[in-house]
Amino acid sequence: MRLRSRRSVQHFANPLAALDRQAGDPLLTARLDRGSAVRAAQRLNRAAGTLAIAVLFDSAMEHYRGSFHNRAMYTPLVSASLSLLASAHGTADPRSGAHKLRDGIYAFAGLAGIAGTAFHVYNIGKRPGGFSWLNLFYSAPIGAPMALSLSGMLGFLSERVRDNPPGPPPLIFGLPAGRVTAAMTSAGLLGTVGEAGLLHFRGAYHDPAMFLPVSVPPLAAALLAESAVGRSRVRRRFTTWWLRFTALLGFAGVGFHSLGVARNMGGWRNWSQNLLNGPPLPAPPSFTGLALAGLAALGLMEDHPDE
Amino acid sequence: MATTTRKRCGRTGVSDDPQHVPRARDGRAPDVFRHGGWVPMRCYGENDEVDFAIVGTGAGGGTLACRLAEAGFSVVALDAGPYWRPLEDFASDEHEQTKLYWTDERIVDGENPLQLGSNNSGKSVGGSTVHFAMVSLRFRPEWFKARSKLGYGADWPLDWREMWDYYTEVEQALKISGPVRYPWGPKRPRYPYRPHELNAAALVLAQGAEAMGIDWTPTPLATVSAPRGLSPPCVYRGFCTLGCSTNAKQSVLITWLPRALAAGAEIRDLAMVGRVEVNEAGLATGVHYHREGAWHFQRARNVVVAGYAIETPRLLLNSATARYPDGLANSSGLVGKNLMAQSNQAVWGLMEDEIRAYKGPPSLSMTEHWNYQDRGKDFFGGYCYMSQGPLPALWATTQAGAHGLWGDALMRDMEKYNHQVGLKIVGEMLPQKRNRVTLADEKDQYGLPIARVTYSWCDNDKRLIEHSLRFMTQALEAVDARDIWRQEDDTCHLNGTARMGDDPRTSVVNADCRSWDISNLWICDGSVFPTVGGVNPSLTIQAIACRTADRIRALAARGEL
Repeated sequence: MRLRSRRSVQHFANPLAALDRQAGDPLLTARLDRGSAVRAAQRLNRAAGTLAIAVLFDSAMEHYRGSFHNRAMYTPLVSASLSLLASAHGTADPRSGAHKLRDGIYAFAGLAGIAGTAFHVYNIGKRPGGFSWLNLFYSAPIGAPMALSLSGMLGFLSERVRDNPPGPPPLIFGLPAGRVTAAMTSAGLLGTVGEAGLLHFRGAYHDPAMFLPVSVPPLAAALLAESAVGRSRVRRRFTTWWLRFTALLGFAGVGFHSLGVARNMGGWRNWSQNLLNGPPLPAPPSFTGLALAGLAALGLMEDHPDE
Repeated sequence: MATTTRKRCGRTGVSDDPQHVPRARDGRAPDVFRHGGWVPMRCYGENDEVDFAIVGTGAGGGTLACRLAEAGFSVVALDAGPYWRPLEDFASDEHEQTKLYWTDERIVDGENPLQLGSNNSGKSVGGSTVHFAMVSLRFRPEWFKARSKLGYGADWPLDWREMWDYYTEVEQALKISGPVRYPWGPKRPRYPYRPHELNAAALVLAQGAEAMGIDWTPTPLATVSAPRGLSPPCVYRGFCTLGCSTNAKQSVLITWLPRALAAGAEIRDLAMVGRVEVNEAGLATGVHYHREGAWHFQRARNVVVAGYAIETPRLLLNSATARYPDGLANSSGLVGKNLMAQSNQAVWGLMEDEIRAYKGPPSLSMTEHWNYQDRGKDFFGGYCYMSQGPLPALWATTQAGAHGLWGDALMRDMEKYNHQVGLKIVGEMLPQKRNRVTLADEKDQYGLPIARVTYSWCDNDKRLIEHSLRFMTQALEAVDARDIWRQEDDTCHLNGTARMGDDPRTSVVNADCRSWDISNLWICDGSVFPTVGGVNPSLTIQAIACRTADRIRALAARGEL
C-alpha cells in the first residue's frame, strides 16, 4: 500500500506533491515519532467508533421503525457493529502497521454506506413527487448512510496512518496524513451538516437550539479545510477549541433531542412511540465523531509538520 | 352562590360537565392545555358597557375577540357551546364526539335540502374549528373580483393583495404546516411549518394527479408537524374532524382564545345569544343571552355577530324591532339570502393494496388544479379535491346512505374498509337569493324561532359537480382502483347570508364588516362572503377577522367608531 502510494504521488503536479518531496528532505522533515502516529491512529479509531455507535443505534431504531421490511436493512447494523469492534480493537492496539481485518471491516463500512445511500436515493426517487422536499423529509434519509461510510473512512485513514514507516511524516496516498484527514473530515462535517439542516428544516427550526448544528459545525469544517491547505507549523488553538466545542455539541445534541422526545404527545412516559417519532437520539454524536477526527488531524499536523 | 359555583366548576373535586355547567366564570377559564387546569380571566359585570360584545367564538368571532382585546378594547365573547379541554374531554369515539356539532333543531327544505350538523356547524367555544379538517387554503386572487374578472357571482370589496398579508398573519398564528413550494397562484411566504408525511390515501391522490398530468401538493393544514408551545406534533390519530385530543390541531380554541384571555377578554361559554338589543336611536346597546337557565343582558358599545351563516341571520332576523321590522341590518333585504354551501361530492374505489385511509389527517394531499385552470370548464367557479379518511362509523353511514348498501352487502363492503380510497371536492356554489335562512314558527329549547334553511342547486352547481365527478373517476381509474362509485349528494361549509359589498343596496356590511344600517353592529364570519370559492373558508374568515380588527382600531383612533 505504501509503495503504491509513493508511486501515485508521482502523478501529482500540485503543491501537496511538492510538500511530499520536501518531506523527504532531512532538514525539513520532522523527526520520526512512531508513537505519535499510533496515537493519532488510535484517535481516529476512536472517532470512527463514535460514528459507528451513532450509526448502529440510529439505523437500528429507524430500520426497526421501518419493520426491516427489506433484509438489506440489517446491513448497517452488522457493519456498524463490526466497525465499532474494529475501532475498539484499534483504540487499544499500540502496534504500528495496518491491521488487515480492521482494514477489511472499515472498507466494508465505507462500501455499505455507499450502497445504503444508493438504496435511500432509490427509495426517495420512486415515490410520487420524486426528489421533492416532501420525499427528502419523509422517505429514507438521504444522508444517513454516509455516516457509516464516514466511520469506515476514518477507520481506513487510521490504518493508513499506522501503516507509515519511520522517516517522513505519515502519508496517505502520498499526501500528508494530517492534511488528508482534515480535508476528508471537513467534507464529512459538511455532509452531516446538510443532513441535520434538512431534518431541522423539516422541524421548521421550531427551537432556536436547532440552529446550532447548522452553525457550529460548518465553522469547524471551514477551519479544518483551512488547516488542510494552510501552513502546518501553525498552532491552531481556535480550531482546536472549536472542534472540542463541536464534539461537545454532538453529545449535547442527545440532550436536546431527548427534550424533543419529551415534547411529543405523552413525552417520555410514551417512550416506546416517541423514541421513534421524536428527534433521533443517536444522530447528533456523529458530529462528535467527526470533531474527534478533526482533532486527530490537527494532532497529526502538529506532530508532523510537513513544511 | 359563589361557593356553589366553585363546587360546580370542580375546585372541590366534584366532576364538572362542560355541556351543562359553564366553566368560564369567577375570574377563570379552562386551561385548554392542562388536565383540570385553569387560566385567569378578566370578568365584566353585565352593567359594564364593554367596547365589544361578540356573539360566537369560532373562526370569525374568536379571532376578532383576540385581536380586539390585544388592541386594548374591552371584550366579552359569548358562545352557545361548551368550553372544552381537549386533553380530557375528547374521546376516540365517533358517536361521543358528535357533541361538537350544532344539532339543535332546524328545518331544511328546497330542491336540495342541506344535511346540517357534522361538517358545517359547531357548537363549542372555538366554533367549528374544534372539529374542522384543518385545511387552510387561500382564495384564488381573482375570486375577490369574481364578477369583474371571471363573470359570475359578485365582487368583494376587498383587494387580494391586502388579504394576502392577512392570510400570512393567520398562517403564522396557526403555524400552518404546508408545502415548501405551493404550485398555484401568486408567490406566498413559506408556510411556518413543513408539510406532514402522506398516508397511503394521499399517495393515491398524488399518483392519480400525476397520471392525469396535473399538479398536486401536500395539503396546508392547521395541525403542527413539529412541537409548538404546548402543542405536540400531530400523532396521526385520525380523529381530526371529531376533535383533536392531543392539541396538535391549531383550532381557535387553542390559538386565538388563549391569547384573547391573556389580553383581557372574557369568554362566556354555554351562553346562547337570542337577541341584539337596539335603542331608539337605532344603535345596538347589547345582547340578551341565555345562560344557566335564565336570560341575561350584557351592555356593549358595539355588537359583533359571528354565529356563522345560519345562526348569524337567525339572530339578526330575530332581533327585529318596530324600527327594523325585517330584522337588523336588513335594509337591503339580503340578510339570510345568498346562502352558499360548498359542494362536497366524492368518488370512492378499492385498491388492491391496503390503504388504511383513517391514519392521519383526512386530507393530507390535494389539488387546486381546477381552481386555477379555467380552460376545459363548462361552469363558473372552481373546485379542489382532496384525499379522504372516513372513520368506520362515518364510512358505514356513507355506505348505507349514499351508496345504498344494507344487510349482507353492507357487511361485505365494510370488510374492505382498509382498502377503501376516495377523492372529495370542496366546490364553489353560486350565490342565489332563493337559497336562504328564514325563521320558522317553531321554537327551540331557548324559546327562539328555529331556522329554516332553504337550498337548491343551480345548473352551474350541477355542471361543476358533474365535471368533478368525471375527473376524479378518471383519476381513480388511472391508479387501477376498482368498484368505483360516486357519492353525488353532499355539501359542506356554509357561507353568505350577510354579504359584504360597496353598496348598501346590494350588501349587508361594508368591507370592514360594519353593517350599513347600524353603525355599531358588525358581522364577522363566513356570512359576509359574497362568493365562496373552491377552498375551505376558515383561513379566509380568520383573515377577514384580522383585517376587521385592524380597521376597527384605525376607526377608533380617528374617533369614527
